[in-house]
Amino acid sequence: MEFGLAALASQLVVGLSRAMILFIVCAGLSFVLGVLRVPNVAHGSLYMIGAFSAYGIAMRLFGGSSAGFWLALILAPFVVALVSLIAERALFCHLYEREHLMLLLFTFALMLIFGDLVKIIWGAEYRSVSPPALLRGSVSMFGASIPRYNLFLLIIGPLVAIGLWLFTNKTKIGKISRAAAVDREMVSVIGINVSWVFAAAFVIGCYLAGLGGALVAPTVSVTLGMDHTIIIEAFLIVTIGGLGNMWGALVGSLIFGVTHSFGVLLWPQFAIVFPYAAVVIVLFLRPRGLLKSVW
Amino acid sequence: MSNGSGLREIKNKINQGGEIIVKRTFIIIGVVVVVVIAAVLFYYFAIPPKIERNIKVGVIDCYTGPAAMFCKEALNGFELALNEINKEGVLGSKIEFTTRDTKFKVDIGLSMARELVMRENVDILVGTISSGIALAVSDYCKGEKVPLLVWISKSERITGEKGHRYVFSTGENTAMFGKAGGVALAEKPFIKYWIAGDDYEYGHAIADAAWRNLKQRKPEIEKIGESWWKIGEPDLVPYITAILAAKPDAVIFCTGGASMVNVMKTAKATGMSEKVQGWIPTATETAILRALGPEAPEGMMGTSDYLFYHPDTPANREFVKAFKDAYGKHPGFSGFHGYITAHFIAEAFRKAGALDREKLIDALEGLKIDSPAGEVEMRACDHQVVLPIFMGVTKKVPEYDFHISTDIITLTGDDVMPTCEEIMKARGK
Repeated sequence: MEFGLAALASQLVVGLSRAMILFIVCAGLSFVLGVLRVPNVAHGSLYMIGAFSAYGIAMRLFGGSSAGFWLALILAPFVVALVSLIAERALFCHLYEREHLMLLLFTFALMLIFGDLVKIIWGAEYRSVSPPALLRGSVSMFGASIPRYNLFLLIIGPLVAIGLWLFTNKTKIGKISRAAAVDREMVSVIGINVSWVFAAAFVIGCYLAGLGGALVAPTVSVTLGMDHTIIIEAFLIVTIGGLGNMWGALVGSLIFGVTHSFGVLLWPQFAIVFPYAAVVIVLFLRPRGLLKSVW
Repeated sequence: MSNGSGLREIKNKINQGGEIIVKRTFIIIGVVVVVVIAAVLFYYFAIPPKIERNIKVGVIDCYTGPAAMFCKEALNGFELALNEINKEGVLGSKIEFTTRDTKFKVDIGLSMARELVMRENVDILVGTISSGIALAVSDYCKGEKVPLLVWISKSERITGEKGHRYVFSTGENTAMFGKAGGVALAEKPFIKYWIAGDDYEYGHAIADAAWRNLKQRKPEIEKIGESWWKIGEPDLVPYITAILAAKPDAVIFCTGGASMVNVMKTAKATGMSEKVQGWIPTATETAILRALGPEAPEGMMGTSDYLFYHPDTPANREFVKAFKDAYGKHPGFSGFHGYITAHFIAEAFRKAGALDREKLIDALEGLKIDSPAGEVEMRACDHQVVLPIFMGVTKKVPEYDFHISTDIITLTGDDVMPTCEEIMKARGK
């Protein structure tokens, strides 16, 4: 099959933009995994709640106006953060000492509950969020048309990465979280209230899921079941990146997003296989992930 | 002499009287017999025979996940029709139903079907949106001799090669959609095609049927590539940009469910809808266009077998009004299929005159009912409903806050359905 450099370049751009969404969601999952040691299967549900909240704010409250979208982008992750705070204080905080299998079952149950709650609140209909006027349509790059929204994602992704870096390296709570990820007994021994550190870390991780959901909303159909799709990819990405390592999540997302978009160009009938083949290769060569795993 | 003649006279009179009495008796008996026969005949033919209990329908469908929207609406349509039907009653009784959630999984669907038949003792089964589940349950129903009415799953194999006495389809199928697409696209000047879609039974079945029919009518066309994504794939942008890089004249999209929304959104966001002609089987379906709102692309070709605004007949307007009053929205294809399924069941039981599965099947074969989209018929040879398919192009209109189908061409059932001979050949008979 013949294709020029132009096609390769445009595939790279769209692949990277997808990787940005994946990174934002996976960074949150990885953060929770690292600090709390909780394999949160309900992370995908929080992403779905983020998307539905964005729909509710942008389309229902503001009738699809541009201002509504920006407001949704800011508020929807906070809605998710609030939900996660309630879940953490009411449920999770009693369960941290349990074994992983119990936590896995618990978060799986939570995923089913969240799924039904979304159905009760928003119904089973497909929903769609309009991007703001500024980001509608496409621009011509390398002779291909790339949706403006995807370019916007390419700006947001690095901003979130920088924000996360600043948070974990420059703020006190960020530093404590990192320390707790490495050795939580030590952190509690020196007199820090670990319970609230965990709550903060959990809420921040879930905030990122909500942000990912709000960001993805204008590009997809907001529907039940989007939680299942993302959570499988997210776990694969944090595994190949190194469990609990946020930069590993970034590397994993880039690999996943870009192999997918190139796969589509090279061998479109079997494009599904490419990112998973990449996962297999990475795990074969480095079973504990590309970057250092905190587990 | 006078005495003798007097006696004879008396004798004659007595004889005559006897004859009169005998005649009268005969007449009375005759009348009674006729009345009894008439009463019996009247009882059997004029007054419908009453059945002892309610007719039980088991509904298995997917009420969780992305497909739930269509299944819920189908159930709404079914319920709406039953409310109308039960006012009058069927064979002096009512039709009741009970539902089970398949979660879009074949094994769950199958065990739910078994449970409904064995424990709930349902008379017939209705469902599902998933072709995989429909085929599995159909196989079970064949063994158990339980009628199954498939309402919204679209694999042509259900009433095609895998068809049998106990399975019916009250919805259109991939063969019909694909043929409609092939017929419509053959009229267009496109030569280079790309085929893309959801990587599952429905997607591939549509692609095969559309391509087969298009190629038959226009042999010079050329397929320059194919792409298949997994169901629920959230990001279709790389697929569309890759397709655009290959520069086809037209793209046949074979998607269903939530992917419909994604593909239409992406077609608009990438500007594809302005550059390349796209055809998607259910692009003009109301549920999809309603979900997209202003995000729907214009000029996308699509097919649907039910539109609430077309044909603009009293029957359709009445159905749309009733549906909207009850459920707060316009009915889409699944609401329509749920509705006609209930009417098929009620009419067939009335025609069969008994609560008997075999008689019900005989009654369903060739049964014609009036529907909001006009008269529809259950074809006797393959148990596939014959209904019109509407080809159209998406367009923004001021009346609704979502796009609708315009420039509608109606393809009648006969135009788009495989013939009975083709079906029998597929079944290996």
